[in-house]
Amino acid sequence: MVAQTETESAKHYAPVRARRPTDFDLTLPALGLLALFFVLPVAMLLTRSVTEPVPGLGNYAELMGSSTYLRVFANTFMVSGLVTFVSLLIGFPVAWALAIMPSRLASVVFAILLLSMWTNLLARTYAWMVLLQRTGVINKMLIGVGLVDKPLPLVNNLTGVTIGMTYIMLPFIILPLYGVIRKIDPAILQAAALCGANRWQSLVLVLLPLAMPGMAAGALMVFVMSLGYFVTPALLGGTANMMLAELIAQFVQSLVNWGMGGAAALVLLVVTLALYAVQLRFFGTDRLGGS
Amino acid sequence: MKKLFALAAAAATIATSMPAAAADIVFTSWGGTTQDAQKITWAEKFTEKTGINVLQDGPTDYGKLKAMVEAGAVTWDVVDVEGDYAAQAGKNGLLEKLDFSVIDKSKLDPRFVTDYSVGSFYYSFVIGCNKDAVDGCPKTWADLFDTEKFPGKRAFYKWSAPGVIEAALLADGVPADQLYPLDLDRAFKKLDTIKQDIIWWSGGAQSQQLLASAEAPYGSLWNGRMTALAESGINVETSWEQNITAADSLVVPKGAKNKEAAMQFIALATSAEAQADLAKATGYAPINLDSPKLMDAELAKTLPDAQTANQVNADMNYWAEHRDAIGERWYAWQTE
Repeated sequence: MVAQTETESAKHYAPVRARRPTDFDLTLPALGLLALFFVLPVAMLLTRSVTEPVPGLGNYAELMGSSTYLRVFANTFMVSGLVTFVSLLIGFPVAWALAIMPSRLASVVFAILLLSMWTNLLARTYAWMVLLQRTGVINKMLIGVGLVDKPLPLVNNLTGVTIGMTYIMLPFIILPLYGVIRKIDPAILQAAALCGANRWQSLVLVLLPLAMPGMAAGALMVFVMSLGYFVTPALLGGTANMMLAELIAQFVQSLVNWGMGGAAALVLLVVTLALYAVQLRFFGTDRLGGS
Repeated sequence: MKKLFALAAAAATIATSMPAAAADIVFTSWGGTTQDAQKITWAEKFTEKTGINVLQDGPTDYGKLKAMVEAGAVTWDVVDVEGDYAAQAGKNGLLEKLDFSVIDKSKLDPRFVTDYSVGSFYYSFVIGCNKDAVDGCPKTWADLFDTEKFPGKRAFYKWSAPGVIEAALLADGVPADQLYPLDLDRAFKKLDTIKQDIIWWSGGAQSQQLLASAEAPYGSLWNGRMTALAESGINVETSWEQNITAADSLVVPKGAKNKEAAMQFIALATSAEAQADLAKATGYAPINLDSPKLMDAELAKTLPDAQTANQVNADMNYWAEHRDAIGERWYAWQTE
């Protein structure tokens, strides 16, 4: 009887089709690949953190009990924070300028931004090396115009890492900020001016609070991305500015101590996921793409 | 029909190429000019002689090697590794014993032979200097550690490996024959005195770039890299005073698929002729004792071989035993 009804209704709703694949179904192959080639190996490495060399939490105790490793953690947060701060400082005026400049000019600036994003990371990092080194373009120029009399140490230290990473992170902060600032009604700023606010007051009291969601979303994203950075700190930094990703690479490749490598990786993963959860909770995913 | 034919042809090609593919061996080294030279002077000769193709892979990665052996999926047949690693990995069961009925070890420098490894080539850490960038060049390790007489940055090898600790102890006045066991406290204390002036290089190309650009006008470099810098027309000086030797080794990972071919490859690579050819191409020294005879006398003079009078040999066995402990302390000190 039931079968009968079904055929009946099928007739009415012809042509008969299998259930339409949902968006989720369509991502299944990709998810499967990720699970197999990313999640599984990561899980295996993390498992080693509690099984090697002996079962237990010894690796974590060593990681948390050593001033060396704590210094690497602290340094990772410090560098990420600094990069985030400088990115905001430079990114905000750029995003603002983009939002108010004629669209033709804006598209040129966007093209420059995106081109730099699509350029190979290593190539960009090496370019900075050449620019920043003692005999590099920047130092030669500074000496040439007489600003300094001996070359400034701009690379193989914190300065180098901050410059290199900020440069790479800038698009990630400019794009979401641009999205937010563009949505701000220019009439609001006019209203502020009419009410007697000077330029500084309209910036601090009106524009900044309105742009805050974009700033917070961009800053958090840059901070989280910076936490796991490897290539740029490794090439532009000195050993005194070691970051967590370098420490993990050192454990895995050089010391071949996978237990410790796994433990350090788990710490990085937990911190990153926690911050990502904060981001999702407060800003959702829709603000991340600069929409 | 045409399509079907093409498919069949493709299938046939794959089928016929299968046996050849199975006999290929994979050689892994550190990339750059050194591996290029190994490819030309060893691999291509080997293929000519045996018909076995040698595929190149790299760079050498100890983490990868361990993962392959543990997973039982070893895709590397012969690997160029650092000497101290070879000695340690052999003990830890990561390597196949070498077949010395195939490899003739009677002519190989015994300093670089173990059950699991033979030398690949050997090199010296020497004191390099960019003469155009400074008034005077350091001649001894003590000079290189003297920031008053020689101000500015100096380049040292970043990784925990034989070389820098020895240099620090020699600079501090430890006699060469009393280096081992290494007095780490003393070494790090000496290193502390120049820490702010060290720029670490993590690969040979970077060491050359640092010296040539005068980012670090002097430093401790591999001798072959200094030879190459001089050849490229840069005004450099090399001091061989107490040059510290270390060697690369050739090993076969445990469970390598083409063990026999791997042994044959190592036999050829360590032959007098192949070693002489590699030395010519790289400026590193041959580990086959007959090789220098085959080489141009002028060239032989530029090799670590000719500098034995003042040479200090890093003790690979000591390093193999203490590699982990030294490494942990080394990296901790670097981040301080």
